[in-house]
Amino acid sequence: MSEVNPFYLATFVIYLTIILLIGGWAYLKTNTVDDFWVYGKDLGPTLATWSFVANFVSSVSVIGFIGAVYADGYSIMTGVIFGLMLGIGCLYFVIDKVRNIDKFTLPDIIAEVTGSQRARPIAGVVLLANAWIYLIMQLTGAGLLVTTITGVPYEYMIWVIGGVFIIYTVLGGLVSVAWTDLLQGTLMVVMITLALAYMILDIGGIAATNAQFAAINPGLVAPLGDGVYTVIGAIAGIIAFFGTVFTEQNNIVRISATDSVKTAKIHIAAAGVILSIMYALLILLGGATTVALYNAGLNVENVDLAFPVLITEYLPTTVGIFIILAILSGILSTTDTRLHSCGITTARDIYDYFDPNASDQRLMNISRVSTIFFGITATAIAVDPPGTILELYAWRAVLLTSAFLLPVYLALYKRDIPGEAIVLSIIAGAVLGMGWDLLEAPLGFPAVFVGLSAAALALAIGNVAWGSSPAPTPTAD
Amino acid sequence: MTVLGMPLEMFLVFVATILAGSIGAIHYVIVHIILGRPIEEPLTDQTAAGRPVENE
Repeated sequence: MSEVNPFYLATFVIYLTIILLIGGWAYLKTNTVDDFWVYGKDLGPTLATWSFVANFVSSVSVIGFIGAVYADGYSIMTGVIFGLMLGIGCLYFVIDKVRNIDKFTLPDIIAEVTGSQRARPIAGVVLLANAWIYLIMQLTGAGLLVTTITGVPYEYMIWVIGGVFIIYTVLGGLVSVAWTDLLQGTLMVVMITLALAYMILDIGGIAATNAQFAAINPGLVAPLGDGVYTVIGAIAGIIAFFGTVFTEQNNIVRISATDSVKTAKIHIAAAGVILSIMYALLILLGGATTVALYNAGLNVENVDLAFPVLITEYLPTTVGIFIILAILSGILSTTDTRLHSCGITTARDIYDYFDPNASDQRLMNISRVSTIFFGITATAIAVDPPGTILELYAWRAVLLTSAFLLPVYLALYKRDIPGEAIVLSIIAGAVLGMGWDLLEAPLGFPAVFVGLSAAALALAIGNVAWGSSPAPTPTAD
Repeated sequence: MTVLGMPLEMFLVFVATILAGSIGAIHYVIVHIILGRPIEEPLTDQTAAGRPVENE
């Protein structure tokens, strides 16, 4: 175990205290279930933009991506980040469709386009699984980082972090999440920019950094890496991550939570610009991290530890504190959002289906109890997590994109597709996409291609089989 | 050929990524600010819990 660094530990404690105070304040502002779920549908452009930015940048981004750059170079920009940014750019264009049908969660939208309320709990379970896996990833990243930099053992630190984010999310729902996101998002962007500036100056300029990075291995600065991606593999990655932007419950909830369509458009448009520039800077920071560690003779076995090792072994403490703030911001802002999504999905998409007459107060209580339950179980799993952060990240991308992207969004634009065909397509995409992924993509054919092909085929077959059915109308079951 | 110390192809991936993320912003500026096309605001008739909005 490394020694406890009092400066880093104090920074961490102060940070968590501020976040908890915001949670307490948000509790006083949260009176209805609409406040808890969607900020009373009153999110303005600034809050919505920074909330989207902060939620989007996670431990996967700051620890996983920098670790990936350390291992495989800038190719992650091609196979993952380009797809994500294209997804945000294109999400802007479906805002009208999402707002026009006046629904608040992805299962709500699916129920609308399939004409069957039964689709709500089914889709809800898939989304719940996704959000829960994401929670585990975030906690794993947070625990790993904070343990490395503060010296406090991982098994204790994971429960401290888990406890804090559960408390403030339970207290104030999206009010807590949005206001802490505003603080976290701005901190993160500023600190990552400053960290990169420091590293670039330390190494001798951006061109010198990239030249030294390429000198370690020319494949590190190749778009497809040194055999990291085939062309088809890169395309599959782009599609898979593109799809997650459209199928994440929290993105749909945020669009619904804004005070107008205009705000919804502005927040996605602005967040796209901020995030794409920030990710470019982050990946360059990964290159600078690799060069610095290489020059200092610091070898890292677990790539997820590349950035934490840079902070503890290479950077002066004052600079390290700024970077820690940025990373903590990224991790906690994503964690609270996914936890909040778990609460909404359980109460709105699953519980409300079985008890449609539940009062708003009961739905809010169900949200809070499920938030605690999923938070605690995710923390328990994160004590001994399965796989690396990036492996889990790719797995859920295949699931979401294969199951939901094609049938749901096609149905939004072509409302005469039979509901049965959409349900069949969702099931076929999920089962074959995930199945192919679990078989480790035989024949070198990417799982997301199999999932999307299955979804398209099922949609075509379903359209022929049930094509004479009338256009879907939501049932009141 | 290198740009900022990286091969041109890699540099173009960085540029393409920033452009991809900015598609929405470019559209908003051109269509809604420069051309002045208004944004339609649909009426909301239910709460997040799916209940009808009460008229004040």
